[in-house]
Amino acid sequence: MDDTGPVTAVEPTGDPAETLGARELVLALADDELCIGQNLGWWIAVGPFLEEDLALTSISQDELGHARALYGLLGDDIDAMAYGREPHEYLCAHITELPCHDWAETLVRHFLYDTAETVRWSALADSSWESLGAVARRALAEERSHLRHATGLLDRLLRTDAGIAHLLPLFDQLAPMAREIFDAPSGCSDGALVAAGVITCDFGNQLAQWQDIVGDALAKTGYQPQWAVADAEAAPLGGRAGRRSAHFAALHAEMVEVLSIDPSARW
Amino acid sequence: MSRAVPAGVVAAVRRSVSQVCDPEYPEVTIAELGILERVGSSDGGSTVRIELVPTMLGCPALDVIARDVTEAARAACAGADVSIEVVFVDNPVWTSDRIAPSAADFLAREYSVAVRRWSASASCPICGGTALEHRSDFGPTPCRSVEWCPQCRNPVEVVGRVEFPMSRTGPVPA
Repeated sequence: MDDTGPVTAVEPTGDPAETLGARELVLALADDELCIGQNLGWWIAVGPFLEEDLALTSISQDELGHARALYGLLGDDIDAMAYGREPHEYLCAHITELPCHDWAETLVRHFLYDTAETVRWSALADSSWESLGAVARRALAEERSHLRHATGLLDRLLRTDAGIAHLLPLFDQLAPMAREIFDAPSGCSDGALVAAGVITCDFGNQLAQWQDIVGDALAKTGYQPQWAVADAEAAPLGGRAGRRSAHFAALHAEMVEVLSIDPSARW
Repeated sequence: MSRAVPAGVVAAVRRSVSQVCDPEYPEVTIAELGILERVGSSDGGSTVRIELVPTMLGCPALDVIARDVTEAARAACAGADVSIEVVFVDNPVWTSDRIAPSAADFLAREYSVAVRRWSASASCPICGGTALEHRSDFGPTPCRSVEWCPQCRNPVEVVGRVEFPMSRTGPVPA
């Protein structure tokens, strides 16, 4: 996607982790997982039914674990990276910052995010950055149950008129926002990352794969996500460049609440 | 200057950390659960390095396990001037196949928790029924799913939700 800038020459023998933009890529992924994990944790004890309560909070725990593993690739002080940065230093996509306290919104966001994650982790599973590849393969194994959960519920609900009437408008609202997941983080050139083997599929192709998966899942309802409209209007949200949405401040305050009471607290 | 780990210390640490029990199942050791991967020396022989395999990346017990392992290792080399390094490794990946048969039997008998092996069916820990029906991937801990036994009509917790990780070339060997 980011093919407007010059592709930086890559030393074939260099450390893949030192590739231009590789750290920003991992940081963006970690920030996404941190925010989505924190937001899903809101459902503890208030899920619409017991099994869903357990599912959403288990998934929350998994995503926070993925965030921790990713931050761990960048340095030892995971708490400082997760909680100690200024808002503009976070690179998460805006869709991950949304509270989604309506369960239908959470389900649609969960489906969009976890399908996107599957595409994204798959592009990292054979990464030349070996420890990143290992985390990706580990995470992919866990993501399968997340995806089964999201698609299972969505399939069942889209068999009813009420479900269709309720859920499809949420796709109009959330799908265009979710495509930001595949925007290049600032300072990140996917040409350089592909050339160095850090990712095996560029952001544009990842986006196309994800749009196919989402489109296929909704095809039986006759609904087509409004990608074209989103493309035409595409004013970048800027999450990957450090611009935070209106929801971030409250989310961040909640995340650092324990640390602000006890600065010696650890993850 | 690196000091060499005295002969026998690595073996003593290995023996000691093998006895560390899991916080969730306090009668079962981390060795039996397949969480303990390797004990050896590193940094040119000056450090005892203990490698652990996390069951799930987000498992909240990981820090407790690392703390218990560190304490057990320190106790084993009391008096010897060596450094201890406890790390969680991403490779290999933990699967339920790493659980020792004796531990799987214990979990079934004492906790009514079944273990599903890779490419093998799980049986009901209560009645032995083999027709368990999947109910939810998400049970009371991240590594346990919820199933239902139609034979004895009981809900059953099953360890083995984590599927084998895939790369483009197929399953990654454990």
